[in-house]
Amino acid sequence: MEIGSFIKLQRVKKGMTQEELAEGIVSMSYLSKIENLRTEASPEVISMLCTRLGIELDSETNITIKEKCEQWFDMLFEVNDKEEIIERFNELNELMTLVRSDSLMLFEIHKIRYYLIMGEADNALEQINSLNEVSGNFDSLHSFYWFKYKGNYNSYKGEFVQAMRMYKLAEEKFKHVDLPDVQQADLQYTMAITHSKLRNTLETIEYAEKAIDIFQKEYNFVRCAQCHIVLGISYRRIKMYEKAIKHYNLAKHLGELNKSKQVIQLTNQNLGYLYSTIGDTKEAIKFFIEVIKDEEVQVSGRLMALTNLIKEYYRIQNYEKAQEMIIEAERVLELAKNDVYYKLYYYIIHTYTYAINDQHDKFTLLVTEEFIPYLRKQKDYANLIVYSNMVAKHFETVGRYKDSVKYYKLANLAYEEVVNL
Amino acid sequence: MKKVIASLALGTLLMGGFLFAQDNQPTDLATTGELEPSIFKASITGVSLY
Repeated sequence: MEIGSFIKLQRVKKGMTQEELAEGIVSMSYLSKIENLRTEASPEVISMLCTRLGIELDSETNITIKEKCEQWFDMLFEVNDKEEIIERFNELNELMTLVRSDSLMLFEIHKIRYYLIMGEADNALEQINSLNEVSGNFDSLHSFYWFKYKGNYNSYKGEFVQAMRMYKLAEEKFKHVDLPDVQQADLQYTMAITHSKLRNTLETIEYAEKAIDIFQKEYNFVRCAQCHIVLGISYRRIKMYEKAIKHYNLAKHLGELNKSKQVIQLTNQNLGYLYSTIGDTKEAIKFFIEVIKDEEVQVSGRLMALTNLIKEYYRIQNYEKAQEMIIEAERVLELAKNDVYYKLYYYIIHTYTYAINDQHDKFTLLVTEEFIPYLRKQKDYANLIVYSNMVAKHFETVGRYKDSVKYYKLANLAYEEVVNL
Repeated sequence: MKKVIASLALGTLLMGGFLFAQDNQPTDLATTGELEPSIFKASITGVSLY
């Protein structure tokens, strides 16, 4: 990292103005030139500026910091103890404020990923905003991570179009840096997931297959399994069910070999969904039950499997079992009051409760006045299709044909939105 | 000249509309039961499917 960029970054971090830092050492315009790499200052001037910023210039410590940084960066890509990541982060953060290190800028950029892993999106955004000011001085390596992690932030917030833009910029930068293949694979995997979110099925397959080639060579079987899951999803979407099941089974096998319950249960959930879409309710129920049987599955995952079970039992008119699942789902929902999906599951559970108990007025009121407006606001077109169709069918059964047409039309519009993606 | 200005203005409007539409595309559709794995590595505490 260039010394000028380093000084600028430290000054901004400490909340100092150029005037305050330059006073008595150099002119403000000269400091501006140093910071923007338009001139090279003498070692004496650099030393005085660093002293004012409270930073040491020590080459030995710099090497130690570099090693520590690299270890910490690796930790952000592997399954690691959160406590250890936090501990290392605090140690490095403290060192960086005291010593001038070449790794500082990379450390600052990696903080974005760190905050996202910790679930602190606001801090990640703050970090992005503070780095924006110095991003003009980034070299190719900095830019690669900068774009990748900005994309990670967009992915985290569900802004997949913007995330893809960032990943493409990172992909371009990757051509100009010397990084291990596994870094390329990680970006390709991330792009495969993002394409899948955007329903770009062919691109998803292309990127997942590229990533899997590298992960296989690196013996990174958990990532291989995750690639197989996303391939399973893609082949299901283009109705190549046998191929989808083959990929899911491979993912599950790798998950079992690596004792990754996350991979196993994610596969069960997706297999359940696949069988549900082809109308094989018995198989779908079998896989969803596998998910809810695992007590380690966290609340939002359990709710997804439980609501899928409610739908399957409702579909085969096994109302007794559906009721049983509703009671369990309500119990789990109580634990998910702060979950972002709370409202969605609340509406799903109550919709089926009213439908099963023939509470027609409550059913239509909830779906038309609350649930559907909520789904429209969330742009959740997939669920909009399901529940518009459900209420349209109900109106048709009770002879309210005008209302029925209105909701069939809505389902059709939502379907067009999904296809257009 | 007027035609050039008019077509430039129309072009800008169309491009603006296109970019707006791109940025306002719906986001995650996977709330019906199909779930992609995380872009981050699996957590070791609990099994989070999201």
